[in-house]
Amino acid sequence: MTTTDKPTTHEPVDVLIVDDHLMFRAGVRASLDDRVRVVGESADVDSAVDAAHALRPAVVLLDVHLPGGLGGGGAEVARRCADLAPGTRFLALSVSDAAEDVVAVIRAGARGYVTKAITGPELSGAVQRVAAGDAVFSPRLAGFVLDAFGTGLGDVAIADDELDRLSAREQEVMRLIARGYTYREVASKLFISVKTVETHVSAVLRKLQLSSRHELTRWAAARRIL
Amino acid sequence: MTNPPGPPPAPPQAAAPGPHAAATDPSRPPLLRPEAGRRLGGVCVGVATHVGIPVRTVRLAMVLAGLSGIGIVLYVFWWITVPVGDPHVAAEESRPAELQRLARRLHGERRTFPVRDVLAGAILLAAAGVLVGERLGWHLEAGWALPVLVLLAGLALAWSQLDAAQRGRMLSQAGGRTPGSVLRLGGGLLLVLVGALLLVGRTSSTADMARAWVAAVVVLAGAALVLAPWWLRLARALGDERAARAREAERADIAAHLHDSVLQTLALIRASADDADQVARLARAQERELREWLYTDRAVSGTSLAADVRELVGQVEDAHAVPVEVVVVGDCAPDDGTSALLRAAREALLNAVRHGAPPVSLYLEVRGDAVEVFVRDRGDGFDLDDVPHDRFGVRESILGRVQRRGGSAVVESRPGWGTEVHLEMPRAASREREAPPAEPARPSDPSTPSTPSEETPA
Repeated sequence: MTTTDKPTTHEPVDVLIVDDHLMFRAGVRASLDDRVRVVGESADVDSAVDAAHALRPAVVLLDVHLPGGLGGGGAEVARRCADLAPGTRFLALSVSDAAEDVVAVIRAGARGYVTKAITGPELSGAVQRVAAGDAVFSPRLAGFVLDAFGTGLGDVAIADDELDRLSAREQEVMRLIARGYTYREVASKLFISVKTVETHVSAVLRKLQLSSRHELTRWAAARRIL
Repeated sequence: MTNPPGPPPAPPQAAAPGPHAAATDPSRPPLLRPEAGRRLGGVCVGVATHVGIPVRTVRLAMVLAGLSGIGIVLYVFWWITVPVGDPHVAAEESRPAELQRLARRLHGERRTFPVRDVLAGAILLAAAGVLVGERLGWHLEAGWALPVLVLLAGLALAWSQLDAAQRGRMLSQAGGRTPGSVLRLGGGLLLVLVGALLLVGRTSSTADMARAWVAAVVVLAGAALVLAPWWLRLARALGDERAARAREAERADIAAHLHDSVLQTLALIRASADDADQVARLARAQERELREWLYTDRAVSGTSLAADVRELVGQVEDAHAVPVEVVVVGDCAPDDGTSALLRAAREALLNAVRHGAPPVSLYLEVRGDAVEVFVRDRGDGFDLDDVPHDRFGVRESILGRVQRRGGSAVVESRPGWGTEVHLEMPRAASREREAPPAEPARPSDPSTPSTPSEETPA
């Protein structure tokens, strides 16, 4: 993760923690540093939607698997809070390794995905990054994206506005992130600025959310029965 | 990063290996009417999923066929006979339980079409149309229209229980002997009987023998039509119940396995509570196992390079207590080339956890033409030229192994940045095409044991 290298001159970011495990919520609360202020906690879909509307936090730390609601978990929370955009943003935080679950939450509007193994400072950095409107990609999410959009030469977008394929540059950036490079290392490897890397990553996030690529919806299903 | 020259890579699915096609080929989902994405009864979505073509095409074809009337009959037939369900879930449930993930999947949002409202609206519209028609002097023959309507209503009432039973699953009793379904059945029968009698006996009250006979046949046919869904449902419910019981037993086996392993590990952790390293190692190993069971569908062993890589990383993590972030994109069946690649990757990973510093990451990418592995660590780095020539590690067990098989290996290392080992191996299919005389065509059968001569005396 590459999220610790932002200056911390701003106000602390208001965060709502949504997770159905009390122990985990306590752990997250304790590990976050002073760049972040926890304003509330929720344990299921419905209370999370209510809390998000009542508290209007800048960032909601959202578990992928949650009880309640219609069974849609974190994806359902993000979808039902779509009216809070752009004031409130969502960062998926999950123990789940299943690509389909994570991609479902991203497609519902989350701005990134980190695993629960993340350290406190890294998580605080990621929250700050999401609050600033950037996307947070862990190596694993980058891997999911490459899997979804394909890695072959024929999978490269030709037009800029193509939603269903990554551009060659975006594919390169995703590959480097999947290889464990930080945003900064990606930037120096490709001779571009960190800001440009962030732009690419945001573009990929947008494609992941908006693409109607036939495979992307069928992809999860196909992978289930591989 | 550059892609190597060669034939254009095949799409991931097509690149899936041949010998285990049965295990890796996504099988066709069964014909079911899903609740998600349906417009009316879910017939088109179901057919599209089953056949594997876009829904839009099916809908268009159905509308075109509907213009001639056949489409409507076909649609209604499927609506009645095809059960409700998620085809993907059903396909997945047909997999053996020990290969499935255990964690529940997220539901998609369900959008249901208000069939009842639309139906009521259509009937009202038709009635209004008839009234307007009457006013304009267009005479409808009420003599046969009413009996036909009554008959149709009876059929609809009786058949509707099939759909309702599949959808709601609120009637848990098999056989449908609940008050609701009996009422439906009885009401439907009565309506059909009345309709048939009205239809047959409407011209004259002095019905002769032939007419009575026809009436009897019609009533019998109506009764058969009415009873058919009940029998269908009975048979289906029995089958479902049997399958559910078998699955229950399988799940119990898995739960037993998981609980055993978790409890064992917890006991071990408690016993070695003073040894922080050991505790971390045990917890990490157990976490990995649980994760694998919960969140991934496991492949049949020997058919998945991705699974092999994860297992390899698990062994290294266990042996050295250093967490490794693994990202795998794509998958293929292992062959001789990839097993050489994996052995080299293992050496690289061992170097990374021994001499480098965390975080250590491994990235595997399977493309149509080649398999690539990157192993990265954040240590101090080293200079390959400084490594003494008699040291076998890097030069022979990593670089040599891959290069002998026609692959390439590059080590990039800088002080303060760490080390990255990049291994690349052309896929078996493209290797054969490029250099057929040098090597006999290698069957890419993963069950073939790797040749012992490949092991270097490192």
